[in-house]
Amino acid sequence: METPFGNAIETVNLSMTYRSGKVDVPAVDDVNLTVKNGEFIAIMGPSGCGKTTLLHMLGGLLRPTGGKILVDGIDIASLSDAERTAVRRKKIGYVFQRFNLLPTLTARGNIELAKRIHGNGNGSGGGKYPDVSQIFEMLSLSGKEDFRPLEMSGGEQQRVAIARAVINRPSIILADEPTGSLDSRNARTVLEMLRNLNEKLGQSIVMITHDADAASTADRVIEMRDGRMLGPKSQFSFKPELERFY
Amino acid sequence: MENLVTANIKSRPTRTFISILAVALGVILMLVVGGIVKGTLDDYLGRTMAVGSDFILQPPGSSVFYALSDPGLNEKYADLVREVPGVVAVTPVLAKFNSKQFGLVFGIDWDTYNQFPGRLDIIKGNPSLQGDEVIVDQMYADANKLDVGMKTEIMNYEYTVAAICRPGAAVRVFLPLETFKERTGTPPDKVTILFIKAADGADREKVFAALQEKFQGFSLLRASDQNLLLAEAKMPGLNEFRVLIVVVSMLLAFMIILLAMYTTIFERTREIGILKSLGASQRFIVGMILKESAMICGLGVILGIVVSEVVRVAVVAKFPTLQVSMTTADLGKGFVLGVLAGVLGALYPAYKAARMDPVKALSYE
Ligand SMILES: Nc1ncnc2c1ncn2[C@@H]1O[C@H](COP(=O)(O)OP(=O)(O)OP(=O)(O)O)[C@@H](O)[C@H]1O
Ligand SMILES: [Mg+2]
Repeated sequence: METPFGNAIETVNLSMTYRSGKVDVPAVDDVNLTVKNGEFIAIMGPSGCGKTTLLHMLGGLLRPTGGKILVDGIDIASLSDAERTAVRRKKIGYVFQRFNLLPTLTARGNIELAKRIHGNGNGSGGGKYPDVSQIFEMLSLSGKEDFRPLEMSGGEQQRVAIARAVINRPSIILADEPTGSLDSRNARTVLEMLRNLNEKLGQSIVMITHDADAASTADRVIEMRDGRMLGPKSQFSFKPELERFY
Repeated sequence: MENLVTANIKSRPTRTFISILAVALGVILMLVVGGIVKGTLDDYLGRTMAVGSDFILQPPGSSVFYALSDPGLNEKYADLVREVPGVVAVTPVLAKFNSKQFGLVFGIDWDTYNQFPGRLDIIKGNPSLQGDEVIVDQMYADANKLDVGMKTEIMNYEYTVAAICRPGAAVRVFLPLETFKERTGTPPDKVTILFIKAADGADREKVFAALQEKFQGFSLLRASDQNLLLAEAKMPGLNEFRVLIVVVSMLLAFMIILLAMYTTIFERTREIGILKSLGASQRFIVGMILKESAMICGLGVILGIVVSEVVRVAVVAKFPTLQVSMTTADLGKGFVLGVLAGVLGALYPAYKAARMDPVKALSYE
């Protein structure tokens, strides 16, 4: 299914209308978005324009009220909850603004848990996972393996969360304002990591951000307004400060 | 490796501790109360068996707790029983419960009673029983500081100790049947029960069938084996009571786990959302909740079993007449039922957790 030059995600007339009381809230309206394999895109737009709703649908957490979502060619909009969960388990890694680590587990525990879930209860997935210690070293988290989320800084938590999102080598990473709770220095580190993952492992990334600087890390920026995708905007090709990191 | 289940258990020590205690309490209730009931019953049946009869005949609708019912059996039936081929011995007994001494008293017919294997084994005094005489066993004599020739009061009347017998007889106090009838206001022709013995070579089932034929509608129990006696005995409410204890104990564990896990999943709504975002299946989440409750219940049950055993030893030491029966099988049953109750209690919370909407759960504060 996964072709090197195919699309990781393709939405067709994707819509989501929330019904709150008697009013219909069209949160996402007729969105046709294509994310190529290995592409890193950023989504920007004012608050309430439907970015999170879109991302939740792409990851199968939310079932759209209209349209299709092709993930590696499979229309997850037509799948059952359990089937969508399975697609998410195999192909998608989430990163959230609020880190969302499990508070009772250590950094290592959080990552091991992701492996176990990926293996769906059969030990650890059966596949080859990157070594946890190696990842921790890569993310400059060495020595923090046994820290719980509350014992770590926001930047550290977010790095653990990224490690958790990538441990199972998902083909797609969905990040909802991953730098939204971080200071600029930590934000930059997180962005470097995402870029790094994207380039080294060829993972497709969809990242929501309010920060134009952060968006400039991406290959392409998509603007949203009132649930709709605006026409393709200029690509940010100028990333001088990134060059330093490779 | 750190485990989500144990981490969750440790993250709420008070909740975990109280849940464990409640489950333990249920197990203690089940084992100790159940054990006392069972022990007392075993003791009672054992005493009935100590007479050494093959069958016991009682009025229609009687329970095995003959001492608690009014004597309603015509003593003359003894003669009819004797006519049945294969019967070698019949003895009428008037049984009363002496609440003051907390024990059974038998009014017996000396000659026929001693035709049974459980005949009185006299260790001191005259082997006879008439008038206002009483025979007590060694333990009763010791406990009440009695000796042959001394006077003692039993159920408001005075008797003279004629003899002391070896313990292990059906009861500890034997009175002459006629005297006992008179002094308890029992009609002269009425007794509580007839003990019946078949001849050694006789086919017991044949004798039983013949007796049944002759005494249609009467309560006729096989008394040669405790299980038979228990199985055939009509014990109003007893089984219901034993079931009730088990049900109440299990309900206790069930409800506390239901409540604990139910509040837990709401407290962990966000975490459940996170698990779902990681791709955790419904089965994974159900498994997580069930494992957590099974672990809490397991600990509670183990604590309950240990405490029950301590209580049993303490009760038996303090009240030697109280019997507490707690076999390994009972403990095993307690373990299985306790854990089962907990897992059942966790089913609904687990279902709720598995069905949570991931998006709502993730935005839960
Ligand atoms: N569960 C819901 N029920 C009803 N309306 C909802 C629900 N979730 C979101 N909405 C509405 O849908 C619209 C889009 O919300 P969404 O969270 O996708 O916006 P967003 O672009 O992510 O905003 P922000 O930048 O503030 O995170 C908003 O108008 C919001 O009020
Ligand atoms: Mg949002």
